[in-house]
Amino acid sequence: MSAPLLDVQNVTVRYKETVGIRDASLRAGEGEILGFIGADGAGKSSLMHAIAGVIRFEGMIRFRDRTFRSPRQAEALKPAIGLMPQGIGLVLYRNLTVAEHLDFFAEIRNLKQDAAFRAYRQKLLEMAGLARFTDRAAGHLSGGMMQKLSLICTLLHRPKLLLLDEPTTGVDPLSRLELWEILQQIRREEGTTALISTAYMQEAARMDRLLLFDGGRIIAQGRAEELTRSVRDYCYEPTDCPESRCIRTLDTTYSLEPLPAPKKEPGLEALFFVEAIRRGKIPPAIEVSPRESAEPIPPVVMEARGLTKRFGDFIADDHIDMRLAGGEILGLLGANGAGKTTFIKMLLGLYPIDEGELTLLGRPIRSAADRRELKARIGYVSQHFALYKDMTVLENLRYFASIHRIPQARARERIRRYAEELGFAPYLHALPGDLPLGINQRFSLAAALLHEPVVLFLDEPTSGVDAIARAQFWQLLQKLKERWGIAILITTHYMSEAEYCDRVVLLKQGKKIADDTVENLHRRFPEAKSFEEIFLRFYKEDG
Amino acid sequence: MKLGVVRAYMLKEIKEMLRSKMIVLVYLLPTMIVILFGYGIRLEVTHARTVILDHDQSRLSRDLIGHFRHSKYFDTRVMNITEQQALHRIKQAKTEILIIIPEGFEKRLIQGVGTEIGVFVDGAFPIRGETMANYVEGVIFDAARRLMPPKEAKLITLDNRNLFNQAMRDENAIVPGLIGLILLVAPAILSALLIVKEKEEGTIFNFYSSPIKKSEFLLAKLFPAFVLHSVNIFLLFLWATWLFEVPFRGSFTLYWFASEIYVLISLGVGLLVSIITSTQIVATVLTIIITIIPGFLYSGMLMPISAMSAESVIEAHIYPVMYFNHIVYDTFLVGQGLASPKNQLYLAILLAYAVGLILLGSFLMKKELR
Amino acid sequence: MMRTFLSLVNKEILGFLRAWGLVAVVLYAFTLDIYIAGKGIELQAKNVSVGYVDESGGVVSLKILERLHAPQFKPPVRFLSQKELDRALRNREIMVGLLFDNDFSRDYERSGHARLNVLLDATAAAQSFQALQYLQHILLDFSEIHFPVGLKIHKLFNPNATTSWFMSLAELLSMMTLLGVILTAAVFVREKENGTWDMMLLMPVDPRLIILAKSFSQVLILSLGIVIATGLILFGAFDVPIHGSIWAFFLLSFFYAFTSAGIGLFVAAVSRSMMEVAQLAIFIMMPLIFLSGAWTPIHAMAPWLQKLSLISPLRYYIEGSESIFFRGTAWGDLWPYFAGVIGLGALVYLYGFRRIGRLF
Repeated sequence: MSAPLLDVQNVTVRYKETVGIRDASLRAGEGEILGFIGADGAGKSSLMHAIAGVIRFEGMIRFRDRTFRSPRQAEALKPAIGLMPQGIGLVLYRNLTVAEHLDFFAEIRNLKQDAAFRAYRQKLLEMAGLARFTDRAAGHLSGGMMQKLSLICTLLHRPKLLLLDEPTTGVDPLSRLELWEILQQIRREEGTTALISTAYMQEAARMDRLLLFDGGRIIAQGRAEELTRSVRDYCYEPTDCPESRCIRTLDTTYSLEPLPAPKKEPGLEALFFVEAIRRGKIPPAIEVSPRESAEPIPPVVMEARGLTKRFGDFIADDHIDMRLAGGEILGLLGANGAGKTTFIKMLLGLYPIDEGELTLLGRPIRSAADRRELKARIGYVSQHFALYKDMTVLENLRYFASIHRIPQARARERIRRYAEELGFAPYLHALPGDLPLGINQRFSLAAALLHEPVVLFLDEPTSGVDAIARAQFWQLLQKLKERWGIAILITTHYMSEAEYCDRVVLLKQGKKIADDTVENLHRRFPEAKSFEEIFLRFYKEDG
Repeated sequence: MKLGVVRAYMLKEIKEMLRSKMIVLVYLLPTMIVILFGYGIRLEVTHARTVILDHDQSRLSRDLIGHFRHSKYFDTRVMNITEQQALHRIKQAKTEILIIIPEGFEKRLIQGVGTEIGVFVDGAFPIRGETMANYVEGVIFDAARRLMPPKEAKLITLDNRNLFNQAMRDENAIVPGLIGLILLVAPAILSALLIVKEKEEGTIFNFYSSPIKKSEFLLAKLFPAFVLHSVNIFLLFLWATWLFEVPFRGSFTLYWFASEIYVLISLGVGLLVSIITSTQIVATVLTIIITIIPGFLYSGMLMPISAMSAESVIEAHIYPVMYFNHIVYDTFLVGQGLASPKNQLYLAILLAYAVGLILLGSFLMKKELR
Repeated sequence: MMRTFLSLVNKEILGFLRAWGLVAVVLYAFTLDIYIAGKGIELQAKNVSVGYVDESGGVVSLKILERLHAPQFKPPVRFLSQKELDRALRNREIMVGLLFDNDFSRDYERSGHARLNVLLDATAAAQSFQALQYLQHILLDFSEIHFPVGLKIHKLFNPNATTSWFMSLAELLSMMTLLGVILTAAVFVREKENGTWDMMLLMPVDPRLIILAKSFSQVLILSLGIVIATGLILFGAFDVPIHGSIWAFFLLSFFYAFTSAGIGLFVAAVSRSMMEVAQLAIFIMMPLIFLSGAWTPIHAMAPWLQKLSLISPLRYYIEGSESIFFRGTAWGDLWPYFAGVIGLGALVYLYGFRRIGRLF
């Protein structure tokens, strides 16, 4: 490592009532990539904002030979710093085109627009795959393209220090890979130092060094291998263990005490689980009681033949056939803009079907009237939906219960049971906005389950949710499948989650390109180490 | 300050405004307000619906009725109904004025015995009721005086000259004041929105994290708003003089110059609003609340400052709108221009407000997250 | 059915109460805003400032000036020359200038006829006209003429011409319109903005019931607002008299609340964000309020505008409310207002209902 280019000492960021990050120190050398990992609200963004000089802080930050203690003092360094804050397309202007963005960012940073600059600009556009779309308004780009545009806008002035706050959350694996490639190339050519926060552990594993955040502090740092090695002794193949001292997920059991089970090679996620056990913050085990209604689950829940949706000239879904059986978890995967959400919305009747036939629960769907009665048997959770923000969790659940005409006594009983089983009993009287995303997603699921539906449609329910909450969410889905035998259709950008699905369907530019079990796909691509590689293979294969 | 940076930022603002149709708000709102209020606020009374019950049916009573019939202030009907029924008509809002000429009206007049005419006026809309009562009184006394032998009358007559607005048109009195209202409200909303929009959507990070100076950012935000609303200065002038036919007697240069300064004041108000708010809807509502009340009540438009109570006069002097309206009314109706020391003083005060507000805004604005 | 309806209503009311900013704005609109409007806007000419130049050197002028007193007039200010008086008028320091010229006293003593020159600042047309009327009155009084004709003028309903009565009522009714539109539109647009719209569509409930419940919840809030504003501000602060039945007013308000909710439904159907709601609401409401007679009596408008005002439901609401409060109109005679509000209201509400229904 060369001499530290960036030296952060005892930085604390305070908000009106809370502390964002306390006493954080770090160093980074030229060309080094530092990864920030940790749950929602762990302090990653606060530290990035402090280093970018956009928020007041206590402590000291030195970059190159300049030291600053306030945003004002950081002004002189801003030509050398690039910040991409969290949120898809956050810094983009919806009405401006791609080319106008590049011009704008170049001009507000007063860059000299000579031949060298134009060549660099063109190179960035090509690297981001946006060269063809220079005339498209940012509001019309897919999430992945927006993030790539944001990144190249941030890179335009060749910053020496790059701060990227979750640039890949909600972005599909292919776009993630492309973003990463752009970054590697820039680092090689410009020697840029980068601080990047991420929710994807495969991505984190590629960073030079990682900082683990928890509760507003940096609790560990080191190379990915060092960090995983430090928890290697605590990871076992799934096995039973005393609930109060270990955490079980679908594929691993974590325990500080030795267990009579074979050890397992941990991923970076293990850090979070082990840390949680150390702090005694063990999440309650998920339990699901059998459903009360005796309604049988039909063998085929949903059958789509040639389902098509057009928006003007653009074909969002192109003649898609799909079948969802009872008791099956079907993963719907694809890049941003491949047509996943559109497909689910067609199934739900939120978009009219332009072409094709749909049979839901054994009933052909031709009109809105066909659906009305079915609504009571379908559950839906979307990535945006986190209940009504101005009602407490309990009020929300009661509201949904009475909308579904569940008798009051039974509704009370069910809410109580779900609250216990899904482990949100302590939060019943809190407002959803005050709670972490992971817990919110559990209420959303509870609300969708109150009327004991026969089929669940889940649209990116785990985006932006931390590792522990995601593991629990999947445990819950597994239990629902086992105990209730209901069918689940789910979309996700975490390819590791695809492994938990019984079957996956891959969409690409509105067309179905694969529909098979995960095992079969692994058999087809024996050299692939993870499902992510299989996904990328499919996507890169034919153009 | 790097002008290239400012120019690029401004270009972006203008493109966004055009594409998001915000530009419609910039030009439609002022015009709509001036047209609605200009036509809408009428304080003079014409065509008051009058019913006369003539219980006398004499030459004199018909003569009196004739006086009402010939006045543009009244739409007179002589009806043959009972007093009760007539009063009922007022309750139903079908009639506004009821005049009852008693039996033996003519006879008693000729005999020189006093007689009394009963008048009922609908006072639900107070200023209208008051004015109607005054009109009725005027017509009846006028008629009575003509009946009287001239030598008996010992009378001071009023010889009034209505300065600045000879015909006492409401348009002349209201429309110039509306300019002061609109140019206070509209630019403030625009400048507040231009800044708060970036805060709400998150693009403000581009300002925070880049080397753009605060002064460059402010110039880029305020200058387009300034230029766009400068067009409104002319537009409003056009509506006032062409549509409402308000005379313009003063110096156009003074009107223009004072209005430009006033637009700057409004931009300063918007800037201050944008500092304390973070969503567009709150910024809009707050701007409207804090600008419309002084724009209406303490501007001298509906109520002359000289006729206010002592504490209202002090309040009126706090808001910049009073100073501007003084100059605007001067340029439209009076025409003293800069020859009047008061106009000079007020112009200076406006300038101080503009500079003060914008300096205060740029001082309070921080280039960092809160 | 009823339980679903009630829980839909309950949800919206809870949502409203939790949004404390909104509650504050609504409370402000129904109390302080109406108070300020009633208190602040005084259109009557009061405290008229008078200046005079007295070249007559007589007692007559002084006697006349003595009669200019509060509340109509401020104490007259003496100017030494006509030029100074002129300057004060031009700078609008005074509104009325009186010129007692050389011959004034002499003429009056000798013939009983004299002319008093009055200079009026007519930039404030209404007030200067009223001031002139006051002067005329004073002079008539002063002349002690005994007309054979007496006049007995009854100003019905508001004998002291208290502006606050009228203005506070008119402001309350305008606020009803404003809030009815914005609140109702907000209920729907908030769901669009928060991404809960889809969830609403997926509920196993008849969409018509959802729309009805959502708008009804806002009608309830408005009705409560009307009661608060009437009790606290109209009766409490301004002692507005009510000659008719308060229940008639509340009933009329309740129907009108549906009308404004109907406009809100339309606004919600065509806007995507709260920003658009605010803009659209301004553009729809201004003409509506303008055409209603809240600012200016309908009969003072141009004839074509009077015809146009027939389609503004607010017109019937305002006229009806004025009649109930001030004219004490009986139930039986209120039917045109009820018919106007309910008829136009039903049209507006159904149209809004269908527009938003298309989104379901």
